Amino acid sequence: MRQTIRVERLLRESVETPYSNLVTRTTGRLVRTSIERALEADGAPLALLDFSDVGLVDFSCADEIIAKLLLDPPTGAYLVLQGLQDEQLEAIEHVLEHHELAALVHDPAQGGARPVGRVSADLRTVFFHLREAGASTAAALAGQMGWGATHTADALETLARLRLVRCSDGLYALPYDA
Amino acid sequence: MTRVVEVPAFFDERSFEAFAQSLAAGPLTDRLLFDARGATWSSPVGFVAMLTAAQAVREAGGPTPQFTIPDSADVRRYWVRTGLFRHLAELVEIHGKLPRLKVEEQSDVLLDVTPVRASEDVHAVVGKIQAAASRILHGELGLEAKATMGFAMALSEACQNIVEHAGTGGWVSVHAYSYRKRLKRRVVVIAVSDAGVGFRRSLEATQARRFGDRWGDAAALEAAVIQNVSRFRDPGRGQGIAGIKRYLARWQGKLTIRSGTARIAIVPAWDDDSPLLEQLAPFPGAQVQIVIPAQQDEPQDDAT
Repeated sequence: MRQTIRVERLLRESVETPYSNLVTRTTGRLVRTSIERALEADGAPLALLDFSDVGLVDFSCADEIIAKLLLDPPTGAYLVLQGLQDEQLEAIEHVLEHHELAALVHDPAQGGARPVGRVSADLRTVFFHLREAGASTAAALAGQMGWGATHTADALETLARLRLVRCSDGLYALPYDA
Repeated sequence: MTRVVEVPAFFDERSFEAFAQSLAAGPLTDRLLFDARGATWSSPVGFVAMLTAAQAVREAGGPTPQFTIPDSADVRRYWVRTGLFRHLAELVEIHGKLPRLKVEEQSDVLLDVTPVRASEDVHAVVGKIQAAASRILHGELGLEAKATMGFAMALSEACQNIVEHAGTGGWVSVHAYSYRKRLKRRVVVIAVSDAGVGFRRSLEATQARRFGDRWGDAAALEAAVIQNVSRFRDPGRGQGIAGIKRYLARWQGKLTIRSGTARIAIVPAWDDDSPLLEQLAPFPGAQVQIVIPAQQDEPQDDAT
């Protein structure tokens, strides 16, 4: 079960402006509040924040929306960002780096999602192996990767703490995998 | 008795100091005359500085200043086209006859002189600039198309400093022009200015103790611009100026911020400006200038 939240629509509802730019902290706060309400109302375990039709995203607004949603998630929903242009993603990555956070971004070329922000090379490697393998235990993934079990388990735990993967009964999976 | 504040003949960032000295020669509550008769040119820095000075006089409770317009008809026309007098007329008593012209939309003026008071104004500024910025940055200065969005971001963050920190309104203006003196290239210049509390007062409560005896305008600028410190305890703050610096590093741009009696600069290789100036004449609020130069013939991808 997944929910798609059209950010541009929430922007239009939150701010009286003829433009579709996510700029200023004030705007960010208003849009974040709308997103939080939508998440709480729907209750889906996975939410796609769709930035299609959004123009500019500045650092302050990205901080208010993305960083604060990740730092203080209003529900247990996993978030995936989609519909981002390169320059918008750059601003968001800058904010994520600042807070040492990471987020999932929909990867239209590969399908699925990829992590952006403060994610080490090791974590990326584990993430992409898990994406390839599907839901796996740490031991199974370590075997596939040829890594040590502890190292792999630590990496998966970190990914779970960053909310880039989910973990249930020792089974790790990407949030959008059924 | 009226005190004359000389408007520099060639009003740019350097001659700004002469203007500041002239304004600081007495209290803002003096009866003032801004004398622009000899003016031949002004960068956006000059336009927003004149408005800031006039606003500071009003906020200090001084009598409405007088303002004599440039003698040159060409200069008068250009200044009218920038939108300067439309706003200045609310703050000063203008002496001289101004031509009736519309503010130009397709010119080197990317953004006419625009007041910034609230978040909605930043939305309007960013929305208005995008088409013109693309035309000038990509079309004339040879920057990649994606530079436009970063430029609008830098502009947005610079304007937000007013909304978030100044405690009063301010002004922004964006022009493109040939910067022959230092660079022999065209540049786009963003000038943002307010007559607010300035960086020192904004940061005093959270930073003064840390700097001890060194605390002052220069230390406050250093904290904000070099250390990306903000007056808010929210750890997400301070990213605006950091983002501007990042954008400017990519496109060999220059940033200067003047507040109170100090001025700090992030100086690119093409310029030899001082990184920090202290003990300048006091000027109200804060003034931000961002300069984006045209790219050289060969692509400069090294910073990307």
